[in-house]
Amino acid sequence: MMRFSQLRIWLLVVAVVTVLALAACSSDETSGGEAEPDKITAWAWDPHFNIAALEIAKESYGKDLELDVIENAQDDIVQKLNTGLSSGSMKGMPNIVLIEDQRAQGFLQSYPDAFFPIDEYFNLDDFAPYKLEPTSFDGKQYGLPFDTGVTGLYFRTDYFKEAGYTKEDLMNITWERYIEIGKDVKAKTGKDMMTLDPNDLGIIRVMIQSAGSWYMKEDGKTVNLVDNEPLRKAFENYKAMMEADFIKANSDWSQFLAAFNNGDVATVPSGNWITPSIEAEDSQAGKWAVAPIPKLDIEGSVNASNLGGSSFYVLNIPGKEKAAEFLGKTFGSNKEFYQDLVLEVGALGTYTPASDGEAYQTENEFFGGQSVTSDFSKWMEEIPSVNYGLHTYAIEDILVAEMQNYLKGKNLDDVLADAQAQAEAQLK
Amino acid sequence: MKKLKNVGVYTFLSIAAIVSIFPFLWMVVSMTNKSVDVTKGRLLPGSHLIENLNVLFESVNMVTALVNSTIIALITTFLTLLIGSLAGYGFEIYRTPGKDKVFNILLLSMMIPFAAIMIPLYRLFGRLSSTVPFLGIDTLAAVILPTVITAFFIFLFRQNTKMFAKELVEAGRIDGLSELGIFFRIYVPTMKTTYAAAAIIAFMNSWNNYLWPLVVLQSPEKQTIPLLISNLGAGYTPDFGVIMTAIVIGTLPTAVVFFVMQKYFVEGMMGSVKG
Repeated sequence: MMRFSQLRIWLLVVAVVTVLALAACSSDETSGGEAEPDKITAWAWDPHFNIAALEIAKESYGKDLELDVIENAQDDIVQKLNTGLSSGSMKGMPNIVLIEDQRAQGFLQSYPDAFFPIDEYFNLDDFAPYKLEPTSFDGKQYGLPFDTGVTGLYFRTDYFKEAGYTKEDLMNITWERYIEIGKDVKAKTGKDMMTLDPNDLGIIRVMIQSAGSWYMKEDGKTVNLVDNEPLRKAFENYKAMMEADFIKANSDWSQFLAAFNNGDVATVPSGNWITPSIEAEDSQAGKWAVAPIPKLDIEGSVNASNLGGSSFYVLNIPGKEKAAEFLGKTFGSNKEFYQDLVLEVGALGTYTPASDGEAYQTENEFFGGQSVTSDFSKWMEEIPSVNYGLHTYAIEDILVAEMQNYLKGKNLDDVLADAQAQAEAQLK
Repeated sequence: MKKLKNVGVYTFLSIAAIVSIFPFLWMVVSMTNKSVDVTKGRLLPGSHLIENLNVLFESVNMVTALVNSTIIALITTFLTLLIGSLAGYGFEIYRTPGKDKVFNILLLSMMIPFAAIMIPLYRLFGRLSSTVPFLGIDTLAAVILPTVITAFFIFLFRQNTKMFAKELVEAGRIDGLSELGIFFRIYVPTMKTTYAAAAIIAFMNSWNNYLWPLVVLQSPEKQTIPLLISNLGAGYTPDFGVIMTAIVIGTLPTAVVFFVMQKYFVEGMMGSVKG
């Protein structure tokens, strides 16, 4: 039997807790009522790349702005944004956040009110067209395009010379030709042609975007696998490469890096952001060059594509105007700033007026004196524009499994039809 | 014949030992190598240790992260032990109608993955941010509070309390000790091994906790060790030598705690099985 005094204490405790909880729940914490903050925060993920870029932007901005750049791994940013935005609490969210282009539509469509449209803060025509589609939603521009994932075919000039090929032999080729050359190089030098992670179909995405196609139709929602001619072609190429026995498999990022740092592969078809990783192995200086990425052997495919790349977004919280103005005045319009970006960080933006600047023409000794930046920015302007839609990675998970079935001998029509059915069922 | 059997046993044990020790060995060796050498899989110690340490302590807030992790882990361990043991003791010693039902419901909560309650929790702390000071997103309280009350520790203490001689409670009451007095002066000293075992688990859980600190801590100066390590691997060209150095340093405290309390750990865990 509980004594009365004890009971009273308990009742009091329960009452206090309830009041506290109710007070907490009823308080309205939408952004409107709060004051402009003194400083704005930004989330990005690579201290040598996008974080360094933000720091340079801060310097070049000139105006007095307190900008706090916070480093978080990319997956961590996705996790934090998802948790924060889906809880409906904007507390703790940054003013500016960097999001990978292929994920952007997911955020924009799931949380349309959480982002602040920034059309008025910069001129859209100044940017590579392929970059605008994934960063806008519902007719409004939300992202300020940052780095390009323009692809190139990095290759070892010494290996190709040994096999009897010149640089010209790799210019503007098709993937079919690439496979032919690859077999020959393997036979003559014993080196594999490239390294691939079977769980990452990045190379397939590179191939289909070069023909202006994607896993989804232009609306970004309709699954587009079964009658997708570029995708079919890409699958065929992928299988042909596997069967040509010149693929060195890797299972993670460090093995991917190791394959070319060790000199095990003759080419690396990848986004231009891989340049610093290739340059990391000093002993290979002068032995690399970059050619345009191969294209698909079909109408409409070009020798330019994209892999990765990201853009800045402004969250709809106090300080948004300040943040948008900062982005607009730096990443959105400052040509000089982009020269610094290339020289100091090696980051290639998608701001097209910057490409005739001096820094872009610099010859890179590691790549045998090639003006790598200038080449990449030329290819960048040719990248076909596609809508990455909401479900790139969800569909890719399905395709990874189906690709294995295809490699084991399943008929390609069935592979694509099954993948289409699975994707439609899953994304309903 | 017996000798042959021994050879088999020792071969198996050696292989098992190599498999479990190799990753640690590689981690320590990689700490002394350049990033490129790490990716190449170099197994010999290199001469890059000082550079790695320099980068780690100069370019990132390793010291701050160590201090943060230590503070959070110590407070969490203390509170977890206090609450877990009080509750476990209460469940076992006192007779209350329906206590087993309550206990079963409590155990069910062990089945709910943290990811499922993370968003409501974030919402809760987000709301608290604007009303209660020191209790919102990005505060110490927000990291610690959701982790200190866990069914696991209440269960652990309740099971171990089954071995505790209840006569001691009676004796304490006759000698005029208050109920809390009995708990702190009689129960706590006799259950030292259980506390030690629980302390190791609580400390390690808190030290290695990743998901919740990740979403709830925003300022870099509040970062814990796992978050820092995750950030180190974030770039397009991560420095694996530095990452390995951070991991080795980040692993040391848990290793020390474990070795210091190892003796008690086994006894404490045995208790919960015997009960």
